[in-house]
Amino acid sequence: MAANPMVQFNVYRIGPEIKFGNIDLSFTNASLFMLISASIITIFLYFSTKNKRLVPSKIQLISELLYNFVAKMISDTAGSKAKPYFPFIFSLFVFILICNMVGMLPYSFTVTSHIIVTLVMALFIFIAVTIIGFLKHGLKYLSIFVPSGVPVVLLPLITIIEIISYLSRPVSLSVRLFANMMAGHTMLKVFGGFVISLGLVGGWLPLSFSVALTGLEILVAFLQAYVFAILTCIYLNDALNLHH
Amino acid sequence: MEDKEDFKTRLKIEKNRLEKLTFKSENKKGLFLGNALKLGTELVAAVVVGTIIGFILDNWFGTKPILIIIFFFIGFAAGILNVVRTAKNMQKDNK
Repeated sequence: MAANPMVQFNVYRIGPEIKFGNIDLSFTNASLFMLISASIITIFLYFSTKNKRLVPSKIQLISELLYNFVAKMISDTAGSKAKPYFPFIFSLFVFILICNMVGMLPYSFTVTSHIIVTLVMALFIFIAVTIIGFLKHGLKYLSIFVPSGVPVVLLPLITIIEIISYLSRPVSLSVRLFANMMAGHTMLKVFGGFVISLGLVGGWLPLSFSVALTGLEILVAFLQAYVFAILTCIYLNDALNLHH
Repeated sequence: MEDKEDFKTRLKIEKNRLEKLTFKSENKKGLFLGNALKLGTELVAAVVVGTIIGFILDNWFGTKPILIIIFFFIGFAAGILNVVRTAKNMQKDNK
């Protein structure tokens, strides 16, 4: 393996080059690992719910726990109005979670450590939430930019600040996930490199760090998926229940 | 028949127990960590967005350094607003 800790983030083409005009649509290792994550989810959920039983088997229990976890998260943060959006948030949460977890396996590739992947997801959520807000409330949705109880003199300034705060949502959402995943994986690689270069004599200390970091990374992988999903719920809540 | 009744009562007892369990074990330690990680990016993102908006407007109007400076500070204010809002939400959850 290469010693450079950033090599693990390289995207390379697998198979033939596919081009439509200027757009490169070739199958890359990133697409491969997205496909792997999606198939893991599909196969798991299919087999765990195939033989439905009142007293669930172990594998059915896991998928039921997952379902309940997301359902509770949505009803806690966005209320009952958000029920129709359950499938989307569930898929989003599980996809990010499995992508992060697949990335924890040695020799694999972390899809979510690329800002373009997280940015596309965040922008999709941002645009969808904005459209939902306008569909539900019409032009009254613009009132989220105008907080109540502000002096008229300050109103233009506050409105600009609110608009920037609103526009910063997709940026903070995507940067958070991407930065956490990339920093964690770089750190793991750096400590792994220390183990090799220090050898049998001094390699034990970085090795123990590496073990601890792996545990931390698994926690972060879960937590970031959770934060991403719960922020989606919060934004959805802002759009569905307009209040100040 | 008896088996079924027996099963039903056991299910009821178990359900009651589970409800109490989830009610009690609702420690939100994981949530706190998530919130803590949230605050930093919240601030930075608003500053970045503000600066980008200032940069674009500057290119439009040809007022090179002025708007980018103004929007940098407005973005900073928006970032503080974001952080205060998140902190308020955290307090609300805490109670």
